[in-house]
Amino acid sequence: MEILVSISIGVMAACGIYLILRAHTFPVVVGLTLLSYAVNVFLFSMGRLKVGAPAVISPEAVTYADPLPQALVLTAIVIAFAMTAFVIVLALKARDELGNDHVDGKGEQLTDTEEAGL
Amino acid sequence: MLFWTLTAAVLVTVTGFLSLDAPLFGDRAIMEFDPVALFAFAGLMLASILTVVLHRKRMISMILLGVVGLLISLGFAKLSAPDLALTQLSVEIVTVVLIMLALFFLPQYTPLTSSRWKQTRDAIVAAVIGLGVTLLTLAVLTRDLSPISDYFLKNSVSGGGGTNVVNVILVDFRGFDTLGEIVALSLAGLGVFSMLQRMSLHASLNDHAGRPWNVDERSLILQSVARLLFPLMLLFAAFVFLRGHNLPGGGFIAGLIASLAIVLQYLANGITWMSSRIRTNMHLVIAIGLAFAIGTGMVSIFLGYPFMTSAFTYLKWPGVGKFEVASAMMFDLGVFLAVVGATVMILVELGKINVHKVATGDSKKGES
Repeated sequence: MEILVSISIGVMAACGIYLILRAHTFPVVVGLTLLSYAVNVFLFSMGRLKVGAPAVISPEAVTYADPLPQALVLTAIVIAFAMTAFVIVLALKARDELGNDHVDGKGEQLTDTEEAGL
Repeated sequence: MLFWTLTAAVLVTVTGFLSLDAPLFGDRAIMEFDPVALFAFAGLMLASILTVVLHRKRMISMILLGVVGLLISLGFAKLSAPDLALTQLSVEIVTVVLIMLALFFLPQYTPLTSSRWKQTRDAIVAAVIGLGVTLLTLAVLTRDLSPISDYFLKNSVSGGGGTNVVNVILVDFRGFDTLGEIVALSLAGLGVFSMLQRMSLHASLNDHAGRPWNVDERSLILQSVARLLFPLMLLFAAFVFLRGHNLPGGGFIAGLIASLAIVLQYLANGITWMSSRIRTNMHLVIAIGLAFAIGTGMVSIFLGYPFMTSAFTYLKWPGVGKFEVASAMMFDLGVFLAVVGATVMILVELGKINVHKVATGDSKKGES
């Protein structure tokens, strides 16, 4: 299980970084979201992995998962959403002001049909 | 320059590791995985990779991002984190709606601008970072941990009055931290609101193949089902909120479910229909939420205790039985309201640009 989780975190982080390095705003937003998933799962796994031991106190429970990283990651998930919203609106604002969706705002202006011509 | 920076970073890391005697991996026993977990994690990795491979087709890439988020939610459920699974599930839905709304105003396809050499370079950088993160995680996970969480597990029932330790940490032990988080969320909501004022965007009237978008106002089936679901979803949010102190749930999750209920109504019925019915300004909801959260903390100052000291007691209500009343519930109510206010405001404000554009009917930006 540990190996699977580590590789997944690595794959998500790598995919996120690659997309953040793209030149257009939309892939950057998607990449940031992927990277934030990777960071959340990474922080969560720092409490070590346990199966079938939720941190809810009960007389029958033998062991509990570490609740502290869970509490930190819970808020981090919500903050990551707020950050995604803010960044994507920044992207919209840039498109409004500059007329294109290049991250540096200097992309050649293409119409939608030209862009579709891939 | 970039090349040398990266080479130096890799060199320093590798020599750092090699110069120490400690092995890369510890000797903690690792867990066996079952076929279902293997299948789910393989799906997670495949969806992440496909998000990158197909990233130029933005719609598809966004759907795959949703798949990644939902599989992570499953992973949390498997790995004993029911609260995180619920939060991730509801956040994922909100995120997909958000990206979908924004995508309407952006080109549907990403043009190919970087050369093959640049793509290869970026792929190598990303792969090295991914490998580093994997090794780091594995190095940590194969070592034993002496956590400080035993304190929370021991004192959760006696000190915080709740059996769901994650929620007790959020609203009680680390309430100050959570207060900061909801302030950040509210600020993001207000930032989105102020940036979207008087923004008018060019959105094409047809898709990339030249076919016009569907002109039907909205789907009758969705409309009928959504109206039926609305009270049920709000009831479920209240249920999740009330059980949060003792079982998985709480203000964050309930807030997200309630915002989903409201946003679903906006999607099904349209902005005009809804804004004549929900007159409440979301700024007010955010303000009341923050006031509740800070006010709960201030009460303890007036009573001579440190900021955010909590108290709880048990009440007996005939017919219902014994239940708990905690001051942390008021704080959680503040969290709930702030989350609802910020989430609904972000999504509805994004949806409103749409109305503006359709009403004016121009395809280029009019004002700046």
